[in-house]
Formats: sequence, C-alpha cells, structure tokens
Amino acid sequence: MSLRGLVKRFDTKLAVSGVSLDVPAGSFYGLLGPNGAGKTTTLSMAVGLLRPDAGQAFLLGYDVWADPAAAKARLGVLPDGVRLFDRLTGAELLAYHGLLRGMDAATVDQRARELLDVLELGVSNKTMVVDYSAGMRKKIGLACALLHAPRLLVLDEPFEAVDPVSAARIRDILQRYVAGGGTVIFSSHVMEVVERLCSHVAILSDGVLRMHGTLDAVRGDRSLEDVFVQVVGARVATGSELAWL
Amino acid sequence: MALTAAPSGSSLTFVRLKLRLIANGLRGRPGRVALFLTGLLLSGIFAVAGYAIFAVPGVLGDDQAAATLLPLGGAALVLGWVVLPLVFFGVDESLDPARFALFPLRRRALITGLFAAALVGLPTLATLVATAGTVSTAAQLGGTAAALTQLAGIVVGLLLCVAVSRAVTSAFATGLRSRRSRDLAVILLAVTAALLGPLQLAVLAGLERADWAAFGTVADVAGWTPLGAPYSVGLDVAAGRAWAVPLKLLIVVAALVGLLWWWSATLERAMLGAAAGGRGGAATDTRSPVGRLLAGRLPATRFGALVAREVRYWMRETRRRASLITFTVVGLFLPVSISMSGGSPGPMALFVGALAAVALANQFGYEGSAYAANMTAGVPGRTEIHSRAAAHALFTVPLLVIVAVVVALVSGRPEAIAAQFGGLVAAYGVGLGVVLPVSVVAAYALPETTSPFAVSSGGGVAKGLLTLGAMVATVVVSAPLQVVGFFLGDVWLWLGLPVGIAYGCAAYLIGSGIAGDRLDRRMPEVLAAVTPGR
Repeated sequence: MSLRGLVKRFDTKLAVSGVSLDVPAGSFYGLLGPNGAGKTTTLSMAVGLLRPDAGQAFLLGYDVWADPAAAKARLGVLPDGVRLFDRLTGAELLAYHGLLRGMDAATVDQRARELLDVLELGVSNKTMVVDYSAGMRKKIGLACALLHAPRLLVLDEPFEAVDPVSAARIRDILQRYVAGGGTVIFSSHVMEVVERLCSHVAILSDGVLRMHGTLDAVRGDRSLEDVFVQVVGARVATGSELAWL
Repeated sequence: MALTAAPSGSSLTFVRLKLRLIANGLRGRPGRVALFLTGLLLSGIFAVAGYAIFAVPGVLGDDQAAATLLPLGGAALVLGWVVLPLVFFGVDESLDPARFALFPLRRRALITGLFAAALVGLPTLATLVATAGTVSTAAQLGGTAAALTQLAGIVVGLLLCVAVSRAVTSAFATGLRSRRSRDLAVILLAVTAALLGPLQLAVLAGLERADWAAFGTVADVAGWTPLGAPYSVGLDVAAGRAWAVPLKLLIVVAALVGLLWWWSATLERAMLGAAAGGRGGAATDTRSPVGRLLAGRLPATRFGALVAREVRYWMRETRRRASLITFTVVGLFLPVSISMSGGSPGPMALFVGALAAVALANQFGYEGSAYAANMTAGVPGRTEIHSRAAAHALFTVPLLVIVAVVVALVSGRPEAIAAQFGGLVAAYGVGLGVVLPVSVVAAYALPETTSPFAVSSGGGVAKGLLTLGAMVATVVVSAPLQVVGFFLGDVWLWLGLPVGIAYGCAAYLIGSGIAGDRLDRRMPEVLAAVTPGR
C-alpha cells in the first residue's frame, strides 16, 4: 500500500494534511497516534471509503480512486466507527460478504464455519449481530475482512474492546497471515500490542506523519511509549492540578 | 457541564442545553438552516391560521359557535399532538433521556427538566399562538376576567399537549424496544393510523348533515374531559358558570400529573436500556451459512446475496417494517374508501403506487454506515440499485395485486382487475424511477436509535418534503397513461396490463440507470451523508 500526499479537510479543520506512506509487501505495519490524530480518516481514504481532497492511494499497485474494482478485490477491511449489517446473524453476515466478493457457495460455507469456530462466535448461533457485545462485533468484523483471503488487510483498531484471550487468538491469526505472505496495516494506541507484533510503525499526530520506518529504527534504544510521547509532544505527569482527587 | 452544579435551577439548565443543541445543529450547515427556516415558515402559517379560526366566533359574537368550536378544536389539537408525532413527524429526541442515566439527578428533577426542554420548540410556539385565538374570543364574549381565565387555560392546555405527546411516544418506543411487545406496538400503531381515516369520514359526514345540536352536545362533553377543558374555561366565565372553572382546571392538572407520572415510569425503563437477554445460546440453526442467508431460493451470487440481505432488513428492522405496515394499511384503506364513496379508483392507483415507492426515498439512510461493507466489496452502482428495488418489489408487488383485486371487486367491476393492476404497476415503476435517483442524491442520516419515531432536528421537515416531492413527480410523470386509459374506454381493459407494465418498466429502467451511474460516482459522498453525527 502506498499513500501519496493525502489531504482531508472537514469544514474548516484540517484532519489530515499531506500524509505519504509506503507499506512494504509482507510487512506488519502499526499506525500509532493519539485520539483525533487522523488515523481513521487516513485509513478510510486509503481504502476508498472517504474521498480525499488531494493525493492518491495505491493498493497493491492499483489506484483506489481510479481503478476501485481491481484495488478492492484483493483488500480486506475492518473499519472503525462503521456499522455492520447488524440485522443479520453472524453466519448470514459472513455468507453475505463471501457472495459479495464473488466466491462460490461451497468455499464460503467452509471458510465461514472455520472462522466462526476459531473466533468462538458459534457456528449455529442465531443471535443477530446487533445483539453482540462490542468485542464479538470486532471479531465478526475481522472474520468478514479475512473471509476472501485478501493480500492486504487494513484494520482500524482491531484490538479495541476485545478480551485478552480473543486478542491473543487474533494476534496469532494475523502473525500466521503475515508469515504466509500477507500484508497488514492496523491502527492502535496500545503500545504493547504494536511493539509485540509490528515490523514497521508510523506515528501520526494532528494529521501529520511524525515518524515512520521499521520498529527498531523508530524506537532506537528507548521504549516505544517514550518515543511516542516525545514525538506527539504531550506531557504525562500531572502537576498541582487534581490535588483533590 | 453545569448540570450538577446548579441543582436548584436545573430545569433552566435543561432548556439551555436544548437551545444549545439546536444552535450547534444549525451552525455551519446551510442545508439544516434551510430546513429550520422551512419549519419556521410552516409553523408560522399554522399559528396564524389557528389563531384566525379560534378568534372568529369572538369577532362574530356568536356564543353558540364559540361553545362548539373551542372545546372541539382544542380537543382535536391535543389529539393531533398524540397522533402526528407517531405517524408523520417523529419526536425530536435530541435530549435523549438515556444520556442522563449516570447523572445524580432525582427522578422528579429529571422529569421536570426534560419536560421544560420539551416545551422548547417550534410546535409548542405555534400551538401557543394558535390557541391564543381562544383568548381573543373569550375577551370579546366575556371581558377581561374571561380572557384571563382563558389565558390560564391555554397555558395549562399547552403543558397537557406536550405531556401527552411525550408520554405516548415514550410508551410506544419502550414497547418497541423490547422484542416481545415490539410487534404488538407496531400493529397498534398501524391501527391508530388506520383509524384516522374513518374518523375523518365520520366528521365530514356529520358536517354535511350540519347537525349542530349533536355537535353542541359532543362539545359540552368534550369540555369536561381533559382534552377540551382547558379551552372552554373562558367561555364558562363568560356564561356565568365561574364555579366550573376550578373543577375543569383540576381535571386538567390531574390528567397532567398522571401523564407525567406515566412518562417517568416508561422513561425509567428506557434508561435501563433494552432487555436484550433471554434467548442467547438456546436458539441454534444447523444449516450452512450460505443456505441460511439465501433461504434456499435465491441464486448464490452477488445479486442473490444483496437481495437476501435486503429482504431480511425489510422484515427485521423496525423502521422498514413500520413503513411496510403503514403502506399496507393506507394502500388498502384509501382505494376502498374512495370506491365505496363512489369515486373513481383510477387516480388513486397513482397515489398508491407512488406511496409504495416512497419507502425507498431514503433507502441508504436505513442501515446508515453499514453501506461501507458494500463499498469495500466493490458492488457496482447498478447492481446495488437493482437488488434493493427487487427486494422491495418482492413485498410490494403481491400487495399491489391484492389492492387491484380488492378495488375492482369493491367498485363492482371484476373485469377491470388486470387494467387496475397495470395502472398500479405503472405508477410503482414511475415512482421507483423518480425515487431511486433521489435516494442517491439526497440521502440523509437517521439517528441510531431503536425508536422508529426519532428524527434528528429538522429530519421531520426533510422527510415530509422528500415524500411530497416524489409523490407529485410520480403523479405528473404517470398522468399521460391515465389520460390515454380514460379515452380508450373498454379497449383499455385489455391493453391496460401490458401497457402499464411496459410503462412502469421503462420508467424504472431509466430511473435506476441514472441512480446507478450517479451512485458509482458518489459512493463516498452517500456514505458520508448517511453516517450519523457528522
């Protein structure tokens, strides 16, 4: 995936100002940033959900905005802050996604069963997705993104609201996926997860890319959290305020 | 926020919060401002017209007319406050009670605060101005004392209007939230809507006979119910029955307290959230995922999946189901009532067909940002539009057949079934042709609540305008067919079906083609438009 000078403006606020980023094939890329840094906006523009005011996005060599069909065919997305078709049950939702991607029914059935089983969502569960817990919703969203075996996965906050056991399982799935030649880019603000998983990281703040490169190059000999706090320019220690607490 | 900081003036805080929400909703959004101004204009027209009507008996100095009009008109107004939010406008739930669940507010403070905030709005202002006409009448007939009493009456009456509308919508919404009573509530709603028609016919029939004595009796009775009491106190003073005033005010205040208590009881349940549990792992289904989605009947293709998902949504989502039910009730009731009163059922085919299609006018708004899934899967615009129309037609076409059969039988012309159906299909096709491009260009977000009545500020106006516009356009476009049918006479009985279907299909193909191409170019814009809170 490569982004070239993406810009997005909401009303008068500049949400993302000129982000250029190259995600090498086969990398496990972590996109870090404080709340409101523009992570979701950037990823939405990269996958063709939000039209950028300027700049280009290429997925596996195809221009997302010029040749969307070819670019999207090899892409799996887990958007954040976007609803699923939540009046379907988990199994129905997976079947829906599989058929939308033009897969044949037998393959969809087999993969859907496996995914529901591995993610512990229950193969024959008749609960509608709208009644799922937040963590289950993340998991079914991830299953939908994985179903058609894409070459590139774009995941927005995949570990948010997921319990530790499921998180470990998702980490395992993603690591195997990357080992098998896939590429993952995901956003997060949990340093530990990023440090444990990623080969590359990028730090975004106020719509500008502050740092990017391999994990080791970015953090040097310090912890990733220290680097992050310094780059973002925030303070962690509180002074005399909140003395009443 | 100063909510907890000012416990004494907390009602005022709620009002300020509501005003701030309205102002923030308008800031930087020219479309919203335009809608707000339209709402302002319509409210103004309503207020002035209402004032004029209520003031007429006073100007004429007609005691009899005043004694009839004031209690009955007032009662109609209160009933309007009950029915209209349910059926047409929805309620402005910008102050969602659930948001206050965590604040340390006592129930009484919360209710008075929410009630005070509910009083802020164009409808209350318009109602107050309109009912002020009764004060003018009371002043003309009974002098200052009567006017002052009437003034107190309309203020209490306004409180009653707001309380009754909040209590009823809240009770319905609570009913709709829990799975078990949801269907019951939807049916109740449909029946309420259906009752409006006969009521109207009864009133019209009464007016035609001009049975004023009967009306007088009804008005006297209504004057002693909470519905009409607030609007007749001034007349009692004028007629020398001052003893009735405290009694009537007592009746109204008792009703008001009762309604507020009912409201607070349902609010309590709403704040605790929907009762979700009860059927977790028990229900299982062993069919394959694809088999479950397609129910074994649709092709295992992209189109089949899209149609299957839409069909599920029409059945499972409250808003869509409510619109299907409303259409069924209106679609059957209207033509039948016209046929029975001896009118020609031809033009109403236009109306029914158009009404069916209007359900798709904001089709992308129904599921909101979930549309992102279809975008990332790269569904072409035309496939998207065709699948949505096909799923809707699966429900609508059988209904149109029933309407055609029923209308032809009721009007005593069974030979006209085919032509009648042709006319309906033509109107439905034209309606789709008009509505589908609108749904792409003018999509708007619906709030993410389970209450089918909730609209965001200004949403009621948008919904009404969009519906009206699509209806008018449909009637205009399909008028030529009606004219041809009228002049051909009996030949039309044979030609009506094929020509109607061809006309409808042609209109649909043109409209869906335009809509699909526009959608291909506007997908991100449509997604942004239907995502709430942007």
